[in-house]
Amino acid sequence: MRRPDVIVVGAGPAGASAALGAARKGLRVVIVERGETAGSKNMFGGMIPNCPAAEELLPGFWERAPWERHVVKRTLTILSEASATSLAFESDNFDSRPYNGYTLFRPVFDRWFANEAVEAGATLLTNCLAEELIVENGSIVGVRIKRDKGELRAPVTILSDGVLSLLARKQGLSKAADAHDVALGVKALFRLREQEINDRFGLVRRQGATQEFLGCTEGIRGGGFIYTQTETLSVGVVTHLDSLKASGIAPYDLLQGFLARDAVSKLLKGAQLIEYSAHVLPEGGYKLVPRLFGKGVLLAGDAAGLCYTNGLNQEGMNLAITSGFLAAQTVLEAFEKGDFSERVLSRYESRLKESFVLKDMSTFAGAAGLMHNDRLFSVYPNLVGTVMEELYRSDGKPKKAMGKVAWDAAREAAPLRVVISDLLKGGGSLI
Amino acid sequence: MITDDIFELASYNIDEEPHIRVNPDVCQECTHRACTFSCPARCYQWNEARGRIDFAYEACLECGTCLIICDKGALEWNYPRGGFGVRFRLT
Repeated sequence: MRRPDVIVVGAGPAGASAALGAARKGLRVVIVERGETAGSKNMFGGMIPNCPAAEELLPGFWERAPWERHVVKRTLTILSEASATSLAFESDNFDSRPYNGYTLFRPVFDRWFANEAVEAGATLLTNCLAEELIVENGSIVGVRIKRDKGELRAPVTILSDGVLSLLARKQGLSKAADAHDVALGVKALFRLREQEINDRFGLVRRQGATQEFLGCTEGIRGGGFIYTQTETLSVGVVTHLDSLKASGIAPYDLLQGFLARDAVSKLLKGAQLIEYSAHVLPEGGYKLVPRLFGKGVLLAGDAAGLCYTNGLNQEGMNLAITSGFLAAQTVLEAFEKGDFSERVLSRYESRLKESFVLKDMSTFAGAAGLMHNDRLFSVYPNLVGTVMEELYRSDGKPKKAMGKVAWDAAREAAPLRVVISDLLKGGGSLI
Repeated sequence: MITDDIFELASYNIDEEPHIRVNPDVCQECTHRACTFSCPARCYQWNEARGRIDFAYEACLECGTCLIICDKGALEWNYPRGGFGVRFRLT
């Protein structure tokens, strides 16, 4: 094989995007992927938010990409011990192109996306694990693999090898992940007829829905989710690892409990369980984003910690594709200038800072702290349940004014200064 | 709704060499044994009779949980060789 211009480690959305972006401009790109096919190691049951970089990379991206449903309906459900309070949002504006988000299967989508990079001229080595980075004089000059003479060398290596990024860790490029900053997602995939899914979730055509749940994790920091695909439902639980560890509860038992909740089991009636999967995801937000470039190296996607939630949005895949796209632009600039110094590679970080990727992560930097407030996962969901039930309850007793109901219940749930402090901090980090 | 069957649903190409190695001597010092309940694939079990951690790599989902939660340094953690390990069909 001729010496490549760029090595891309990992054929997920960040890697495929970087490879496609570089290959279509004529660079020799080699993608190293440890799975049998791109996406075969990926479990993801979520939604990719609309991502203009994808269209820029490949005109007609969403006409060609294999996706399942376009999401028009987002629901947040707060579960207390006996009740469910939902806020459901749906918009006609999300029902026309460009759609606002899509559900999809990663083994299918990643395979297609990596193949687009191959069509553009990239070489994809599957069944190929990048074992370590080759470092010379403090620069990363390639990766060691178990074929092609045992190594690949190139002026630039893009690490898009996922949240654990063993390569970046070994090299001290990523911030050491603590259980406090990492969450575990466990997911069950259920098959259900398309028409049943449409009826149960109030959808027509290829419309899709997402539903997030708070208060279903035994007080562990985390939540539940349901995402609709064409003929399947992805149902699962995400929990912070430190909180899970402290609880002594097994993730599959939490999942079991979630599936048994009325609000969930009604939606799953008659559905057939067909796959079970689990993976960790970055939950540290902006403060856990490492330095995104080094000598001969760029970090993209989950490997760069580009993933966040603010309670309503859970974004990652769109950040991955955009970061890969910007990494490719930076590598192209380096080739144009014939300069692979850190000064030129640092333009990658500037590009990310100018884009929505690091702007959004910075805007919601405080949300990661909010998501680490234990009260959000049991005390407040129960409070919401108590208040709503009292507001609706008719039992022949005189009703209290609505404000007083909330006031009394809040005082019962936690010391007032704590509630007020949480409100201020929560508001401050989001508004 | 779900049973032990869920652990049978994943598909694997199992390597003969384990990709994660556990040092059971280090595990003796551990008081929380969080791996035994946190691992979503139930790869770690406390063996009461032998007084040690039993580890079975074959069902590993390569999720990374044990790598993050083990605070004793008992694990030598790698991905399986290229092409081996779990393979998701849809998910």
